[in-house]
Amino acid sequence: MAFILTTLLLLTLLTLPALLYRLTLILTPSRNKPLRHGRRNPNEPTHLLIILGSGGHTAEMLAMLTRAVTSPDPAQKLNWKDYHHRTWVISEGDSISAERAKEFEEMATPLSTQEDLMAGKVKRATDIGPGGYEIVTVPRAREIHQPLLTAPVSSFKCLRACRELLMKHTTDTRDGHAAMAGEVDFPDLILCNGPATATILVLASVLLRFFDVRGCSTRGKMRTVYVESWARVKRLSLSGRLLSRVVDRFLVQWPQLAKEAVGRIEYRGVLV
Amino acid sequence: MASKYCFVTVGATASFHDLTKAVLSPPFLQALQAHSYTDLVIQYGNDGKQTYDSAVAAAGSNGINISGFELDKAGLGRYMRQAKGSGKEVQEGVVISHAGSGSILDALRAQIPIIVVPNSQLLDNHQVELAEALAEQEYVVHGWLEDLAKALQDAEQLRRRQREWPPANSGVHRQAKEVGLRGILDEEMGFLD
Repeated sequence: MAFILTTLLLLTLLTLPALLYRLTLILTPSRNKPLRHGRRNPNEPTHLLIILGSGGHTAEMLAMLTRAVTSPDPAQKLNWKDYHHRTWVISEGDSISAERAKEFEEMATPLSTQEDLMAGKVKRATDIGPGGYEIVTVPRAREIHQPLLTAPVSSFKCLRACRELLMKHTTDTRDGHAAMAGEVDFPDLILCNGPATATILVLASVLLRFFDVRGCSTRGKMRTVYVESWARVKRLSLSGRLLSRVVDRFLVQWPQLAKEAVGRIEYRGVLV
Repeated sequence: MASKYCFVTVGATASFHDLTKAVLSPPFLQALQAHSYTDLVIQYGNDGKQTYDSAVAAAGSNGINISGFELDKAGLGRYMRQAKGSGKEVQEGVVISHAGSGSILDALRAQIPIIVVPNSQLLDNHQVELAEALAEQEYVVHGWLEDLAKALQDAEQLRRRQREWPPANSGVHRQAKEVGLRGILDEEMGFLD
């Protein structure tokens, strides 16, 4: 008995540092980014994943995106077509968020400046156009009045759905490129704010990277940008505290909050 | 006489019955009249119908057109525009919000004076912080349930020096730091152009 216990203990002691080392490797924000040749290169189609929550989270996410795509300042204007494929993640039963995402896509995709039109003439051969989007539903991590006891079960269901949706698009690669031009791969970027679904989806992405599933970690996929709610002035939210050392970028929207030296906190101006 | 709207929103997730009651109380309705409001529109939330109905019955007739609805799936944009007014026919009114960031942002973008009344009964009350921070910078009026008439007065002051949102960048040295969402996404994507 004692022998088995010692062996188990030794094994744990030996493998734990290796696992932790692996974790630090994949969780450091300085992990490798893929080299990209142009924003709309057909060989490197980009994939952006956006997580919407209910009520305030959705409102803030869309306010932030709307501000970015309609910005009068060309340096700050987000060109929606730079992201060939967009995946919107919503919680089950949240038809309002789905409606908002659809409205945004219909508004943002046709926005094009003179500069884009000019660029279109020159770079037509390498421009893959506006691409498309999809809205994916995942089960709720926790219903509003659900008892805490069953929360792990529903969270696990949500985690499994998140893993599935992250794996929905993967490609074989050739020299670091998609094997087929225009083929959608893992998300390049995950953009989220604080709903519970976001925490679970980010966890799912970390698990995939931990095991380097289909080379997602080697290829620098699924970089994560977390934007703390604008309503958080003095204290971080629970999701924020959980994710502050896990995401690649952790942005807060009030300068006084950035003074809290937590994880990767940074203040780059108000974003909504 | 031109109409003038007061639009009240209590939010979708946690209905704020006290706010519904407060805006239908006699002192507040009198204050509305004193500031020449003609219409009061209330979004009372999922389970707020009963509270709304009984408060309207108690208020009786008072010279203000009162209307209410549960929730609008199409969003609050329509009501915000109504409160913003259209010049001669409809004067610019006011928005009273439960301090949800969505409605505050909508009102700030449309530059309608807004009174923010946080629900102090909510457990995790970061909305008070938002209301305080925004009131300090004179973007909104921080209202209290007990004295909404005073807040209505303050809103008239706010109307005269309404600030625009998003805040304009001040100074060149700040622009280097403020790259916006696009700058951050570009950094993460590693675009070379």
